[in-house]
Amino acid sequence: MIRTTEIAGLIRLEVALDLRQRASWAGMLLYVVSAVYVAFLAVKGGMGTSTWNALFWIILLFAAFNALARSFQREDAGRQLYLYTLVDPRSVILARTIYNALTMVLLSLLSLTFYVLFMGDHALEQAHLGQFLLAVVLGGIGFATVLTLIAAIASRAGNGAGLMAILGFPLVLPLLLAVMRASKLSLDGVAWSVTSTYFLGSALLDVITLTLAWLLFPYLWRD
Amino acid sequence: MRTLATLVLLFFTWIDSFAQGAPSWLEESLHGSGKMNTVVAVVAIIIIGVGIWMFAMDARIRSMEERMNGRQGDEHQGEQK
Amino acid sequence: MKHWWWKSLAIGLLLFASIAALWTPLSPALVHVEPDRIAPGPMEVLVTGYNSNFSNAGSSISFFENDGQRFCPERTEVVDDRHLRLFVQVPGGLRSSMTDLQVGQLRYPGAFYTQELGEGIADRNCEEGHVQDGVFTFPNRSILYESIRNLHFHVPMWFTMIALMAISMWKSTQVLGNTSLDRDRDALAAVHVGLLFCALGLMTGALWARATWGAFWTSDVKLNGAAVTALIYLAYLVLRGSVPDAHKRARLAAIYNIFAFMLLVMFLFVVPRLNAVDSLHPGNGGNSGFSDLDLDNRLRIIFYPAVLGWILLGLWMYDLRRRTSRLNELLEQ
Repeated sequence: MIRTTEIAGLIRLEVALDLRQRASWAGMLLYVVSAVYVAFLAVKGGMGTSTWNALFWIILLFAAFNALARSFQREDAGRQLYLYTLVDPRSVILARTIYNALTMVLLSLLSLTFYVLFMGDHALEQAHLGQFLLAVVLGGIGFATVLTLIAAIASRAGNGAGLMAILGFPLVLPLLLAVMRASKLSLDGVAWSVTSTYFLGSALLDVITLTLAWLLFPYLWRD
Repeated sequence: MRTLATLVLLFFTWIDSFAQGAPSWLEESLHGSGKMNTVVAVVAIIIIGVGIWMFAMDARIRSMEERMNGRQGDEHQGEQK
Repeated sequence: MKHWWWKSLAIGLLLFASIAALWTPLSPALVHVEPDRIAPGPMEVLVTGYNSNFSNAGSSISFFENDGQRFCPERTEVVDDRHLRLFVQVPGGLRSSMTDLQVGQLRYPGAFYTQELGEGIADRNCEEGHVQDGVFTFPNRSILYESIRNLHFHVPMWFTMIALMAISMWKSTQVLGNTSLDRDRDALAAVHVGLLFCALGLMTGALWARATWGAFWTSDVKLNGAAVTALIYLAYLVLRGSVPDAHKRARLAAIYNIFAFMLLVMFLFVVPRLNAVDSLHPGNGGNSGFSDLDLDNRLRIIFYPAVLGWILLGLWMYDLRRRTSRLNELLEQ
């Protein structure tokens, strides 16, 4: 059912397209940097670990919505029809999700760097850094899996970013809560035996979401 | 849909009116008779909610009836001509 | 008239559950003692009970218990059914700072804060109260008191809502097969009625929370679940509103409905297991569910019929809604 070569080809296509439109990547980065800077100006002065954590995830969430909204919007109906004749729809959703997940991982790590630069690293002092990074990566992948299908629905409905935010927010919440909790615990330096349930829960959510997207996308694809 | 919007709106304005400070009259009335008044209020909310739904359904059916009568009237006029 | 049986069953179950939920008395309990601290020497204590039948002889036999050691009042005076006056010579040298009180079969754990502790006292033999006749009652819990009856009104709203949303999802899976507009209409009708029950659940829940925890809204997994459900299905309606073409709308709405319901199930039943530490709701995070306090399943006998009755009523309302929607569409053609 899963056609590896087709998926790899589609991912390569995505990368090529993105390399051609470097401006969109620059736009995403600028969005994150501005958001972090606004947060820095708004907070001014010290804040506790839990605020530090919460603010980081809020910025990341908005960055994810901004970055993933374009994933189905850049192609017109003609190219979609062309793709439709060439490949299996399931390969398309898998390729898009994998590519978006990679994008999000990169974007989350970059956001984290900027965030630490501006807001200070005092929250990381007693953290399990590995666990925290794992939470960031899992969160990024999770946002990508949930929001890719939502972006597809929203672009099909012909109503872009606004509709995507309305549809996506309640669906991202379960994942967001689990991941925020995991990252808060790892910032507090709690042992792996406690935090592992949260990581497993987030990973499970990712897998289920991906399966659902894989099952449902063909119905969305055809017209 | 409109009924739902009204319900939600009513709920939030109602919540909002209590948001500032703790009104003692509410506390007292809810806690009255060994907190039996809370049960009374809950049952009242449910009955009112289902009642509003019934009225909405009634209005739906009435509008359909009116349209149907209008259509039948048209047909009769057509026959007369 | 074969369609009538389950509708009659709905009315019958609701009638039974509502009457039983309102009429069943609360089991007796001790709710207050005055004063609430004791020290060695003669004391006079006024005990207040709830639904307690103090004038019934035998239930007014009482003793104090401190760390397993008992001492008895010298004299008991029944004021009325709800009040009892105890005259007691508190012995010196009690070991624990908490002294329990038992009157008849009713126990008040930690009734008194005990001052001037010592190495223990000689245990006295106190007479025990008689077992009361078995009357069908609801458990009496401090904080909840009579509002425990809300279990039979507030909680079925959520069960009904979940049932209706599940029906909606099931209809949506049928839409995907052949883009049937009939099934799409059914799915929408179920969501509409489900949202009504969601609103009722939120409002009744807010009121009960205010009476129990002192706030309309707390950050609790169950409450977050309720809020997310409302948001998801309002977004579903917005999505429907933004697609003009009927067939496309049916398919997009169906896909979102299935996706959202699955994630909602995850959110309601999996995430609470993860965040098991911070919930006020019974049955979560160290909070005892209602099941441990109704050893004889006194609440369940009424709770399950109430849930079934409300679900059947919800189905009935859904049936009415989709039938009128169908007629409406036929009229518009």
